[in-house]
Amino acid sequence: MSHGHSDPVQHPEVQMSSVRGYLSGFLISVLLMLAATYMSATHAFPPFGLLMVITVCAAIATIAQTYFLLHIDTAEHNIWNTVSLVLFIPLFVLTIGLTWWMFSQLYLHTMPAMTGMH
Amino acid sequence: MLVQLPGGWNPLLGRLALDQIPYDNPILAPLFVAVVVGTILLFGLITYYRKWGYLWKEWLTTVDHKKLGVMYIIIGLVMLFRGFIDGLMIRTQQVWANGPHSSGVFGALHGYLTPFHFGQVYSAHGLIMILLAATPLLVGFMNIIVPIQIGARDMAYPYLNALGLWITAAAAVLIMISLFVGDFAHNGWFGYAPIFELQYSPGVGVDYWIWTLQLTALGTTLGGINLLVTIIKMRAPGMTWFRLPIFVWTSLSANIIALTSFPALQVALGLVAADRYLGSHFFTAGFGGNLMLYTNLFWIWGHPEVYFVILPAFGMMSEIFPTFSEKPLFGYVTMVAASFAIAGVSWMVWLHHFFTMGAGPQVNSFFSVATMLVGIPTGVKVFNWAFTMYRGRITYSAAMLWAIGALFMLLVGGMTGMMLAIPAINYMVHNSVFVIAHFHSMLLVIVYAIFGSVIFWFPKVFGFRLDEYWAKVMFWLFTAGSALVFVPMYMLGFMGMTRRLDYVFNPAWHPYLEVMEVGIAVYCLSVLAFVVLLYVSIRDRVKNRAGADAWGTARSLEWLAHSPVPFYNFAVTPHVNARDELAWRREHGMDALEPERYVDIHMPSNTGMALYIGALTFVLGFGLTWRIWWLSLLSLAAIILLMIIRSFRGDDGYIITGAELERMEKEALRNRAQADGKYVSGGRGQVAGTAIAYGRNGASMGGDPFNSSRDGI
Repeated sequence: MSHGHSDPVQHPEVQMSSVRGYLSGFLISVLLMLAATYMSATHAFPPFGLLMVITVCAAIATIAQTYFLLHIDTAEHNIWNTVSLVLFIPLFVLTIGLTWWMFSQLYLHTMPAMTGMH
Repeated sequence: MLVQLPGGWNPLLGRLALDQIPYDNPILAPLFVAVVVGTILLFGLITYYRKWGYLWKEWLTTVDHKKLGVMYIIIGLVMLFRGFIDGLMIRTQQVWANGPHSSGVFGALHGYLTPFHFGQVYSAHGLIMILLAATPLLVGFMNIIVPIQIGARDMAYPYLNALGLWITAAAAVLIMISLFVGDFAHNGWFGYAPIFELQYSPGVGVDYWIWTLQLTALGTTLGGINLLVTIIKMRAPGMTWFRLPIFVWTSLSANIIALTSFPALQVALGLVAADRYLGSHFFTAGFGGNLMLYTNLFWIWGHPEVYFVILPAFGMMSEIFPTFSEKPLFGYVTMVAASFAIAGVSWMVWLHHFFTMGAGPQVNSFFSVATMLVGIPTGVKVFNWAFTMYRGRITYSAAMLWAIGALFMLLVGGMTGMMLAIPAINYMVHNSVFVIAHFHSMLLVIVYAIFGSVIFWFPKVFGFRLDEYWAKVMFWLFTAGSALVFVPMYMLGFMGMTRRLDYVFNPAWHPYLEVMEVGIAVYCLSVLAFVVLLYVSIRDRVKNRAGADAWGTARSLEWLAHSPVPFYNFAVTPHVNARDELAWRREHGMDALEPERYVDIHMPSNTGMALYIGALTFVLGFGLTWRIWWLSLLSLAAIILLMIIRSFRGDDGYIITGAELERMEKEALRNRAQADGKYVSGGRGQVAGTAIAYGRNGASMGGDPFNSSRDGI
């Protein structure tokens, strides 16, 4: 079975990974997590602002991990990664969006006096 | 220690102490003795017959997808039995502890189980039945059948496959251990905030629950990835997307759901673990936590999981109906579309598990409509099956009976599901046993499809058919049991009986509870019939030997391989010409062709690594449950180390030479000729047109598990 692709190092997926990529993915995630933890612990912003800042941190971390660690992009030799990305985005929007909707409605109906959370 | 632990803790044993062993429990202590004696007896027998080497070489270290699948199914059947015994205990408690004058024994005021013990029984029943019985049974069938149906040599990642199995086995062992060491969760199989928080459930039960679920989630995710890659990458030449058997399609859609939804469960449980171990407040009412967020996160996984288990069952039915109706499946393309529609909609319905949360009419209406939408593709499937049988030459074999039974259960479960999808009705019957009867009807669809598949594919895996008479006896007993248990349950649900009652207050319900107890007795008889079925079939295995096409009317590619399927599946990867390849070949006189020549094939080697890592995940789960930190850290480090070692060592596999292959094939063909008396020796049949039986490049055209196995793992 001497196929051209029997050497795993020659695979495009393997070619994409580099120490630098993994390190930057790891460092970005850790730094963002530390920053978010620090801001929450010291109450650096009012509650709503804090919520927004943490959400932004989480979004950046997600994108960095998707790109640097999972190598999910739109490159042609990586077609199945693109397919999974296309599948993942609607699911992500659906779950987060519907959760946000149901809980904002819940708060509206059950805790009308509570401000600052939504 | 970040949280205040009630009870003792020491660095060496964590929370583990002698008083955690329930040796004074009148139910568990005798069971423990029986288990120990049974284990010693089993080990003694294996040693006496000198089978350890065989067990190690052929089963424990195997990476063969068929053997791994068989082991998945054995785990599933054992856990199905355990879950059934839990069900029996629940039914017996409720019929006993009914009304204020009912007696009580073993420390219970009414019945024989204390409320605390009863809570553990129903929690374990639910968790076991869904995640350790239904899931491994279905994963086992997908493991065995999918690669053969697409003409692959093995799964894409044979080693990962073994890893998934042993992690699932570790989860099964962990939940079984909780019987005898400590206790199990009493918060139901899906858990409620805040009862699973440390201050309300201070014992280790919830921790057992968390780590059992985490391990099954991990094992199933690994299996899902493997099946997806196998279906996408390992198809035989000519096996285009729209020639895939429906079981492959449903496996594909089911595993897409598994891959995308199981992480949500792992996150939800990770947050529960953070609450319990690190003292965070994700799901407590104080400190800004949100109780309902847990329910939300859990069902974001929970509902897709429901379809993860039902879709392969639909696939099984879609294989059984055409075979015993002697017709191609009606509406193939709509069947594929329906599977993916169900998978897609499964992501938008999860709030229907907690309509009563009070999110308001807009939200409830949206989820109600989305839930009812599921009825459309499911209806398409039901009509497709009906039209497949319409004017077909139906043989009422045992497998067909089970499939028809599944169809009836689907109608009952589907109709009651439509009722529950209406929020107004849902508010009325919420938390009643009507809901329980509904989802048991749906899960019985799976059980029926699984037993149908056991009978249907048994000859493919073991080379002989199961005894038809006893399979039918079992079917009728099982069906009678289902009717006797669940019809009264539906009625009690309408009368207002709530679920999970350790004491049933209303004596007027006693007749119904008694009928259900009789139903359980009939179920016990069907279990007995299953044991007899296995015994009789193994005794008469020579008489019941099956040829490649065990039923004579099978249609898909797996029936082209020998029965039992050799470890290399197809000696030469077949070239696929049509949707129902075997039916097409039969029509064109190509179904018993022998390949012209055999070439070397490359197979993955056995490895004990998956078994070691699986065992270590059990140790990790046990260590975390009892908070034995040194043990947890040590086992985690060992797991990582073993993974690194494995990825550097890789697997060179081994070669079966063409000559060896030819010798094995000749022998298999001789057996086959005795079994079904037809095979054409040598050369090509007279086939018009451009039909190809086997690709000219031989084995190299098809799946080579070895190359892909090196890529990722």
